[in-house]
Amino acid sequence: MAGETEKKVPSVPESLVKRRQRFAIIKAARLKKEKADKKARKVTRKLIFKRAEAYHKEYKMMYRREIRMSRMARKAGNYYVPAEPKLAFVIRIRGINGVSPKVRKVLQLLRLRQIFNGVFVKLNKASINMLRIVEPFIAWGYPNLKSVRELIYKRGFGKIKKQRIGLTDNSLIEKSLGRYGIICVEDLIHEIYTVGKNFKSANNFLWPFKLSTPRGGMKKKTTHFVEGGGAGNREDQINRLVRRMN
Amino acid sequence: MCRGGRMFAPTKTWRRWHRKINVNQKRYALCSALAATALPSLVMAKGHRIEEIPEVPLVVDDKVEGYKKTKEAVVLLKKLKAWGDIKKVYASQRMRAGKGKMRNRRRIQRKGPCIIYNEDNGVTKAFRNIPGVTLQSVSRLDLLKVAPGGHIGRFCIWTEGAFRKLDDLYGTWRKASTKKVNYNLPMHKMTNTDLNRILKSEEVQKALHPSNRKIKRRVLKKNPLKNLGVMIRLNPYAKTVRRRALVANNPDVKAKMLKPKRKRVLKKVKAKKSEAAQA
Repeated sequence: MAGETEKKVPSVPESLVKRRQRFAIIKAARLKKEKADKKARKVTRKLIFKRAEAYHKEYKMMYRREIRMSRMARKAGNYYVPAEPKLAFVIRIRGINGVSPKVRKVLQLLRLRQIFNGVFVKLNKASINMLRIVEPFIAWGYPNLKSVRELIYKRGFGKIKKQRIGLTDNSLIEKSLGRYGIICVEDLIHEIYTVGKNFKSANNFLWPFKLSTPRGGMKKKTTHFVEGGGAGNREDQINRLVRRMN
Repeated sequence: MCRGGRMFAPTKTWRRWHRKINVNQKRYALCSALAATALPSLVMAKGHRIEEIPEVPLVVDDKVEGYKKTKEAVVLLKKLKAWGDIKKVYASQRMRAGKGKMRNRRRIQRKGPCIIYNEDNGVTKAFRNIPGVTLQSVSRLDLLKVAPGGHIGRFCIWTEGAFRKLDDLYGTWRKASTKKVNYNLPMHKMTNTDLNRILKSEEVQKALHPSNRKIKRRVLKKNPLKNLGVMIRLNPYAKTVRRRALVANNPDVKAKMLKPKRKRVLKKVKAKKSEAAQA
């Protein structure tokens, strides 16, 4: 009799048994999820590879197309007028003090709140006029592929939950821009360089680039580029400036 | 000579000294304070030396109410192991800090145990000379003595008669108080106060999501343009690009890559020839 009652008292307290059972269920679910995630990751990695390959080809085609078009035109005695650029890179070259209110507001809208901050801007009538308002405060131009890639790889930070997070992994990009089909850095670069349908979201995701002071100096920033200074639209020459500031 | 004039807002004796508190609130406070005296942790937290006393709440025989000599009272306290509390009172006797010294509040000391009796047959006279001890009758309990300074958990020593009378005075939840008109003990805020068991219960645990103890720390951003590993992590195609660039620019690498290719080509030709021969 005494022996039976002793056996009825369990060796392990009931709450502990329950907790272990619960934990086992959680663990099983977690392992299953991990396996599924691993598979999914492999698939996406292949997809990213294919996409990057396709973009490489596309950029080459874009480059050769311009050359081919102009050659064709010249052969026919015609002139090829390349399309007006769709993308600009804008750098703020003047500081915080003594800025008039309209200029200040436009610079805020362009997300250029600090000296040597850079942003990509889609060029249309509206934005070109905005750039005209703040002309003496910015240096801008048309970036080439190398500029776009190097800026995003070296100084690319994303706005994730209102925080400036470095783009150290494709999963960060996928989480924020996955719904637009942008799942890796190469997708992001492609969207920016060939101003795509989701340029606005992709560009807004990118935190304004914090560039270094130009190595080798700037020419007189108070005058326009055209007059030998640093401000305003310098078209292709922005790439040289970006090389020195990145 | 001194400056003239009178002080700002001269203090008057007809300052409103008294405050009106609702009767129910007063009784609620007393009930809470008495409940606190029954919890050893709270009494110890107040600072009373009750490590060695036999039980909390400490109830003594009614004979104590008949003590006439202080010597008897001291012996009782020593037997109950409550003398340590009195010793603490002795140790705490000191001069007050501040102007109170010249305002008839020169000496201060700690509060010791509170003796609560039913009938005074000499208890008061026996215990009153022991420093720190307060005497109280059950029927006229004073909140300022049960919770001195507003802090709950005073060490109380009850006589049997006093302890039994508490039921009549304050009621139990099952029956109302007989000594007070239309009064019963206040309702609990929590009926089940065993927080440990509540939190570990099936109902609560089922509603929780699995705990995530992993601490995500800040990742140091490395430059992909310089660090090939990081570059490949971001863009797997970069590996093939880099390989092609190496092959194109480095003649040794190119030669290495070309040599086995020729061998493979020969083998394929041989295989084709053999196939053709077979066919």
